[in-house]
Amino acid sequence: MARYFAGCDIGSTTGKAVILDESGSVKATAIIKSKIDPCETGKTVLMKAIDKVKELSEIEELTYLIGTGYGRNEVPFANTNISEITCHATGAHFVNPNIRTIIDIGGQDVKAIGLQENGKVREFAMNEKCAAGTGRFFEMMCNIFDISLTDFSELSLNSTKTVPITSQCSVFAESEVITLISKREQPADIAAGIQLSVAKRVFTLARKVGLQPKLTVTGGCSRNAGLIETLKKVLRIDIVPLDFDGQLIGALGAAVLAKQNSVKIAS
Amino acid sequence: MTHQQNPLQSINDVHTHFRYWSENWAKIGWLGLKNNPVFMLKQLKKYPWLNSLMKANELLNMYTGTRKGLYKKANSIAVSSLVSSIVDMVDGIYNHADKLILHEDLVPPEILYGMGLQPWMAEFLGIVIPFLDTEVMERYIDRAENEGIPADICSLPKSTMGLALSNEMPKPRAIVASNMPCDGGMTSYTLIQKKLQAPIFRLDIPYNFYNEKAIQYFVGELRKLIKWLEEHTPGKMDWDRMKEICEERNRMVELQLEIWELAKMKPSPMAGEAMYLPGMLYGIALPGQKRGTNAMKKILNIAKKMYEDNQSAVPDEKYRVILWNPPTLIFPDLFVWAEQKYGVAMLMDMLSFNRHPLIDTSSHDNILRGLAQIIMQGPMARHTRGPAENFFSDIFYLHEAYDIDMIWMAGHIGCKNTQALMGMFREKCRDRNLPLLNINYDLSDSRIVPPANIKKQVDEFMETVMQA
Repeated sequence: MARYFAGCDIGSTTGKAVILDESGSVKATAIIKSKIDPCETGKTVLMKAIDKVKELSEIEELTYLIGTGYGRNEVPFANTNISEITCHATGAHFVNPNIRTIIDIGGQDVKAIGLQENGKVREFAMNEKCAAGTGRFFEMMCNIFDISLTDFSELSLNSTKTVPITSQCSVFAESEVITLISKREQPADIAAGIQLSVAKRVFTLARKVGLQPKLTVTGGCSRNAGLIETLKKVLRIDIVPLDFDGQLIGALGAAVLAKQNSVKIAS
Repeated sequence: MTHQQNPLQSINDVHTHFRYWSENWAKIGWLGLKNNPVFMLKQLKKYPWLNSLMKANELLNMYTGTRKGLYKKANSIAVSSLVSSIVDMVDGIYNHADKLILHEDLVPPEILYGMGLQPWMAEFLGIVIPFLDTEVMERYIDRAENEGIPADICSLPKSTMGLALSNEMPKPRAIVASNMPCDGGMTSYTLIQKKLQAPIFRLDIPYNFYNEKAIQYFVGELRKLIKWLEEHTPGKMDWDRMKEICEERNRMVELQLEIWELAKMKPSPMAGEAMYLPGMLYGIALPGQKRGTNAMKKILNIAKKMYEDNQSAVPDEKYRVILWNPPTLIFPDLFVWAEQKYGVAMLMDMLSFNRHPLIDTSSHDNILRGLAQIIMQGPMARHTRGPAENFFSDIFYLHEAYDIDMIWMAGHIGCKNTQALMGMFREKCRDRNLPLLNINYDLSDSRIVPPANIKKQVDEFMETVMQA
């Protein structure tokens, strides 16, 4: 019977799963919104991915499964769990071995990760104490404009100038944005200001690990094209897009490690 | 305190524990009896921090409970030094109140001893109490902040100021402070002096100290201090006693240097608290005491024996670490935990390491010169006020000398001086491919970052960077 390896990344906003086959090819991926119970999120997202692989019908049929993300300790059916920092590093290195710096902007935290040539983590820095600069912050901003994240990204790219957001705290930033709207500032220019405020926070964090090329962005916010463009300007470094969905990089890394661990155990 | 789980102990280990446990209690009991038990009971009410100091023997369990054999014994000696230093310090307050000199940690106490005065290092309580009773200092920190001291200055001077503001600091005959190691520490003495109404002398430690002019200037400052103390206190400089104090200090340091040499071996025959506690206490707070020399001698003999027997201090030593910045006061058993969980051997720390540890006692001038160099080029002054190179050259020298695997930086958020260096420090470690763990925490206030979060930071680093 064919062997399959999976990674399950349980984030605060979304649950992600990736299944690899023995050759290391990606056979299935899945993303769902996180549920209250991380275990339930894990089961649901894995089953969604498993449904896409003909030979698989249940989680137990996976040869090796690694859990990652903030809810990783709540995945009882995983063989082991590994930190999302290691998984993002492994996933990005798997897709592009030249990557040396990763900025992972997830739902509830931001991480900057420096990589060695072999894909191992050299150093990392994270902001997990403040919502400003995270996916949650963008969600709040999108709610003010009553648009989706994709539309928000588009909106910011259409700006003619950047209205700076001076508040560092997401709660105060929300009030500031509402005030700017009431002052008849253009939504596109405010959106550009929001992107800039996040990019500046990322800059501070990224400097801690050293901005070594090639740099890529992972996590849900890697889909925010407006943010990526702003980050390029603020970081003054090219951002390399990965040939894989940035939101799934953590789960992909977990799947790659699952395959490696399985080989180690077998030998 | 976050006590680790105790493994099964051999009869020898039980004997070691009982021996030091009873000796420590005897020292504490002697303090009570010598100074009249009723009087001491009243003092417990007057100075509530005495209650915390009386718990000093609890450290024995914390530091030696999980350790075995000779390594257990070495750490028992380290705890015993702490108990002795507390007893000596408290006894000095009561029996030499007329000679009590409150001094800052960058003032050489050797001069005070040489003059027959009783040194009382103001920061001693702020350092020792969190070790014993993590949450006790919070009351004093809050007191200082409520009186208008900025919340973002270092919690150590805030603790010291809080003690003075709470009328819980014994009134000294005089105060000796300096312009080091930080603005918060320096400013705190203005408030302490105002509160305690005692005359103060401030030593001016030169900023750029790698030249003869600076050394001579500071020697001049020390001479001024001696003259000032002779005018304002009953102290009189006795150069023979001063020489004796400095020579005793040298004897202790020579033994310490031998321990440092042995610790360079892989695996190291000595690690943990035995490496830094006696040195910190008898090198900085109570120098020139026979107790310090004896403790160091015992630890050296143990290290030698372990080396000869090919024993490592940390069973299955996996990682060699140096700790930079003062030890994590709110998580005093960090290395006991790290030793158990990851096989981490802590071999050297910032406060112990001094590039000019010995004093030439051939003349009065040379004695003062040696003391000047110990302060100017020693820990804290050298690291937090001098050029950044001082900070880096010590660390990277230790990196090579001890063949360490990583640096643990106790990133005390209240220390602006070292926080300002972090960017450069990261870059330099990166260039050397040397893993750096920067522990975000506050030195004396566990409400900022509790020990559980420190463990989380260590776990993340060990798993992710060290692949532990």
